[in-house]
Amino acid sequence: MFFHIVLERNMQLHPRHFGRNLREHLISKLMKDVEGTCSGRHGFVVAITGVESIGKGLIRDGTGFVTFPVKYQCVVFRPFKGEILEAVVTMVNKMGFFAEAGPVQIFVSNHLIPDDMEFQSGDMPNYTTSDGSVKIQKDSEVRLKIIGTRVDATEIFCIGTIKDDFLGVINDPTTI
Amino acid sequence: MEKGGKPGKGSLKSTPKSLGGKDDNSMKPKRGRKVQFNTEGTFNFSSKSDGKTESLFNKGGLSKGGKGNKVANAAKASIVKESLPLELRIEPELPKNTKCLMDCEAAHILEGIQEQMVLLSADPTIKIPLSFDRGLLYAKTGSHYTNPQAVRGLLETLSKLGVTNGEICQIANVCPETVEEVFALVPSLKKVVGYIICGIFQAKSSTLSDPLKDVLSELAKFKKSR
Repeated sequence: MFFHIVLERNMQLHPRHFGRNLREHLISKLMKDVEGTCSGRHGFVVAITGVESIGKGLIRDGTGFVTFPVKYQCVVFRPFKGEILEAVVTMVNKMGFFAEAGPVQIFVSNHLIPDDMEFQSGDMPNYTTSDGSVKIQKDSEVRLKIIGTRVDATEIFCIGTIKDDFLGVINDPTTI
Repeated sequence: MEKGGKPGKGSLKSTPKSLGGKDDNSMKPKRGRKVQFNTEGTFNFSSKSDGKTESLFNKGGLSKGGKGNKVANAAKASIVKESLPLELRIEPELPKNTKCLMDCEAAHILEGIQEQMVLLSADPTIKIPLSFDRGLLYAKTGSHYTNPQAVRGLLETLSKLGVTNGEICQIANVCPETVEEVFALVPSLKKVVGYIICGIFQAKSSTLSDPLKDVLSELAKFKKSR
């Protein structure tokens, strides 16, 4: 789910950037440093939407760098256990399938795919019901539920399930 | 072709098995009870087969069947508890100054930022991060409604009934068609009803499902045509 959140960060700025454009320099450095990063608590920082305040700078001993406390608003994306997401399937194999929802990777194990869906190998590996009416393959859109998350330094990885009511394929790329 | 399918099938079968295991537990006490009835005349120790379960009953002393029932109930209660963590609990995990966004709201904000990004991208030192593009794409595909403010306004009427902001956003992101769908996908809402039943509005047992029905029918008006 997306969130709008206020975060704080101490930014270090080299003295060569001091002057009229100090604020602009600080903000562009903030964008470079923060956007695209990922943390377990907040998830992915998708975009900075505004800067609330920039505190007074403090010169660091021994160097010319100055530290500014910056408060900024941003949009973050973080998956939660129990959350329902609509994801696009990226890879299918006999162990299950991988899907992506925004910046988040999700794996759905074959234990968590309905029992009536069987793995079919071939050029386009897929999971299909015995009557062939429902098919999960690459680029299919599925609605899944997150049941576990693991946070890395640079990405969040989730385990999902489609073995529940109202979960499963939303649209099949072959039928369009 | 089938080679790959087989292990999957086998492993799928294992799940019902484990479920069966739980049933076995609830069966055992019954068996234990029988043994106890049989041994009532003699001694409790004479029961042999399932050492563990029976020692439990022996601890219960010269217990009657009632105790056995309690153990079975306890096992069932723990099964119910296991399913609890799957409920969506967003608020306790996030800092206070956080607002959940519906996908359509996020898409609206990110599209605005994208326009600025185009200007910024003239500056080669600023790279648009991958997660921005992916986030925007996800928000766009996930936004089912045309008017985020109206949707927010509609769903906020539910917050008076104890529905949290996170649940409201989840409802909007799922874009449900029926009340049953909402309850199946956001199981924590069942609790809201339960709470209300236990609380002040005892008479109105379906407090949440009725307003939810109204809200869903209103929401349908804002749905994007796909």
